[in-house]
Amino acid sequence: MARKAHEDALGVAGAETVIGTGVIVHGNLESESDIAIDGTLDGSVKTKGNVIVGVNANIKANIHATSIIIAGTVKGNVTSEGETSILETGHLVGDVDASGLAITSGGIFVGRSLVSSPQRVELGEAPEPAPIETDSSVKDRKSSRDHES
Amino acid sequence: MYYYVVNPAAGRGQIKHLQDKLRSRLDELGIRGEWAKTTGPGDATRMTKAAIASGHNTIVAVGGDDTVNEVINGIGQANAAVGIIPIGSNNRLAAQLGIITWPQACEALAARRLTSYSLIAAGQNFFLSTLTLGFETDLDKTVDTTDTGVRARTRQFRQSFGAARNFERLRCRIEVDDQFSLECDLFSLSIANQKFLNPLADNRLIISISDHPGHQLRLGRMVWHTLRNRVAGALDDRASTRFLADRVVVETDPPKGIMVDGKVAGRTPIAIRLTDRRIRFVTEKIVADFKDAIASKT
Repeated sequence: MARKAHEDALGVAGAETVIGTGVIVHGNLESESDIAIDGTLDGSVKTKGNVIVGVNANIKANIHATSIIIAGTVKGNVTSEGETSILETGHLVGDVDASGLAITSGGIFVGRSLVSSPQRVELGEAPEPAPIETDSSVKDRKSSRDHES
Repeated sequence: MYYYVVNPAAGRGQIKHLQDKLRSRLDELGIRGEWAKTTGPGDATRMTKAAIASGHNTIVAVGGDDTVNEVINGIGQANAAVGIIPIGSNNRLAAQLGIITWPQACEALAARRLTSYSLIAAGQNFFLSTLTLGFETDLDKTVDTTDTGVRARTRQFRQSFGAARNFERLRCRIEVDDQFSLECDLFSLSIANQKFLNPLADNRLIISISDHPGHQLRLGRMVWHTLRNRVAGALDDRASTRFLADRVVVETDPPKGIMVDGKVAGRTPIAIRLTDRRIRFVTEKIVADFKDAIASKT
């Protein structure tokens, strides 16, 4: 899966919206599904799907998506609900707000990152809370250890 | 009530030889209706309007893409269904509805499976399926592809390949839904209703732009594919750029002719938008088939 995504990033295939090499876009690109960009874009990118920035891409835009793979150049802030990946040819100048950040050796990232794991929600009964150790209980344990030795 | 708009010139007049067989098949299927022959451009539109005014609820275009296009432009706001019996030189529309031969078309008419498609407006013209600009439009104008014999195909391929190799890419600018603009040098551009490609999809414009294939082998393959299928090459996976929209304005430098469903229908700059007007088409494509295909892919 990771390999497929990697190949897609280098060849920008398989997405519903594809901006090819040599194409220049000005404005706000919005979509309900995946976007692959291998051209030049100046504006913003927003989608409920994933964004793949191809090796030939040169983007000056903030990107908001479910997950983002960067194999080209991006100048702008990147926000993803899932992971943001910068591949070996990727170059990101901007801040990242994502639930995961992966930088492959050779990838360049200049900016701040805010990586927050999604909160895990447990279903069913909550586990019993662990007993709080008081000073006396710590002392008790210590004295018992001393006694054993 | 069926009304057949017959173009006697379609497909080099092949209706002359088919007429008796076709009518007897329609009789067998119990869908014989009124039969009217066109005499020139615009006739199919006038006949369609008259047929709807006299209460016909199914208009069948017996001809090629030109005839179908004229029928569509005659439907107006009426709730009539449109069928196609493909006997023209270019039967792109019928093929996209899954109808390839005339006997199959008769069966489809009798089965009367209807799918509703939004019309697309290009300037003052309405169309259903595909608008092309660039190499394919030039090819349609310069190379006669009606003859499908081996020698003819070889000659057509030689001509087309030469034209493709020398084709100078068009400088193009596209405004999309007042949200963004796009600039590129294009080899071929196609705009279609995505529902035509997949009946499960919404009615939306799908814009596909192809760059020059460059490599001789790829160029040859693309030319051959275009000649054989007469389907906009840019609409398949080879398109280097594609996106969905509801309205686009296309400009080129220099201004160029556009082709709508196989017919020259204006010049750039031109606004193209999806309209609220819907036409019900008799189709051979079964939605269940698409569901199966999608399920097998996932």
